[in-house]
Amino acid sequence: MASVLSEEPSLVAAIQGAIKQSWLFIAFFIGFFLFWEYSVVIFDIPRYILTPPSEVVRNGWADLDRLLYYTWITGVETLLGYVVAVVIALPLGLAIAFSSILRRTVYPFFVCLEMTPKIAFAPLFISWLGFGLLPKVIIVFLVCFFPIVLNAILAFNSLSEELTRFCRSTGAGAWRTFIKVRLPAAMPQCFVGFKYAAINATVGAAIAEFIGSDQGLGFYIQIVTGNMRPDLAFAGIFFLTLLGLSLFGAVTLAERLLIPWHISVRRAAGT
Amino acid sequence: MPDLIEIRQVTKVFGRGATEVHAFGPVDLAIEAGQFVSLLGPSGCGKSTLVLMLAGLLERSAGTIRIGGKEVTGPQTDIGIMFQDNTLVPWRTVRGNVELQLEMRGMPPKPHADRVMSLLRAVHLEDFAERHPHELSGGMQQRAAFCQAMVHDPRIMLLDEPLGKLDAMTRERIRSDLQQLWMQQRPTVLFVTHSIEEAVQLSTQVAVITPRPGRIDRLIPIDLPFPRDLAVKNSPTFVGHVREIQEIFRGFGVI
Repeated sequence: MASVLSEEPSLVAAIQGAIKQSWLFIAFFIGFFLFWEYSVVIFDIPRYILTPPSEVVRNGWADLDRLLYYTWITGVETLLGYVVAVVIALPLGLAIAFSSILRRTVYPFFVCLEMTPKIAFAPLFISWLGFGLLPKVIIVFLVCFFPIVLNAILAFNSLSEELTRFCRSTGAGAWRTFIKVRLPAAMPQCFVGFKYAAINATVGAAIAEFIGSDQGLGFYIQIVTGNMRPDLAFAGIFFLTLLGLSLFGAVTLAERLLIPWHISVRRAAGT
Repeated sequence: MPDLIEIRQVTKVFGRGATEVHAFGPVDLAIEAGQFVSLLGPSGCGKSTLVLMLAGLLERSAGTIRIGGKEVTGPQTDIGIMFQDNTLVPWRTVRGNVELQLEMRGMPPKPHADRVMSLLRAVHLEDFAERHPHELSGGMQQRAAFCQAMVHDPRIMLLDEPLGKLDAMTRERIRSDLQQLWMQQRPTVLFVTHSIEEAVQLSTQVAVITPRPGRIDRLIPIDLPFPRDLAVKNSPTFVGHVREIQEIFRGFGVI
């Protein structure tokens, strides 16, 4: 009992602290939606142009089955493309970082490709592979692949001169040096790529669905917008955002679990 | 007693042809086991270059280096090495960082736990063994790095401006810790610095290096008792050595 009693005030204090810190943001957030809600009424905006958020919630709720199903479809596309990108790009980045031949051939090629907007390939893939799952997975893969591979190359190439010398002076072999020093040292920069790719993954999926699809949230948003239903379009955007946040949250959680030391180092550095 | 380290006509040239830079040498230097030798010289004179060549981490352009009679041809593993920027890794605790030196050498850390702790105690870090480097001050980090560089009991320690980034007071304190450690374990130390006082306080011999291309201008034996506390530092002999070296650098035009 004593421990419960002693913990309660601290929990309350924690919640109070959180509110104290972010009340301005919460107020702004509420203010934004209130402004949206009432500006539609005050400025007499037609409902087929913009609907108040209350209607987005009400009508979105009514269409929840379809929204959830399409979230599942787009979610599978996003996750598959993302996971395949990680699985291929990470070892490839590692190989490029350690092979001078790959660094002089594949690497500049990737840097050039990074400059081209990957989304521009979407119509081609749809025309080659049809309306199904595969072209969307490929688009998401393309969007995610480059930030991961380029950050991985940077990560595995950026061991400090001092640490490199330290490793050599111990006489440790390449494998032991990799496991004990190079790999953990590279993880923070790898996660920069993972996070950037996670933010962009849903963008790739949605645009791929805009271009050619018969299901998914991108398809849904396009269809309901065509039917003059901005309320449902916003509901679709909400679920798309939720999807992106979940992926980003999962990657951030993985970072916390895999390299917990990095978060405190970053915090200490004040960045 | 035969010399542990023999450096003969060692030269370092960076680049080739028109862009060639003669960085260092030729230098001759012989160091007996158990000596504490400072390489004292202005920035850019190639002191660090010599240390790296001695460690087998940088190829020399000419000359020979022998350690214990054996020619240096690749990275030396029987040394402890420290740099201005320490080699502590952020994902390990202070103890873990010291153990990293052992693990990299394929030595299990468990049987050496006592040695790790006694080293940490010698530099007053016993209460910080489970802390991570970012939780420590710069001075404490360098103390931890000392332990990392010494834990495998190397015959030779190469210290490349390990106190370079610390404030004057912290330097002073770590200097005396370093001297204590050296007196206890008596490794052969090659210490790079550009602080005249630091060199005179710590060393049995000071090698005064000329500006680039660095050459050893003079090898000055410092005949003062250890530990060299404040009393020794105020003695006429100590002050005399500092003056003597200041005059040499004034002659070079670097001060």
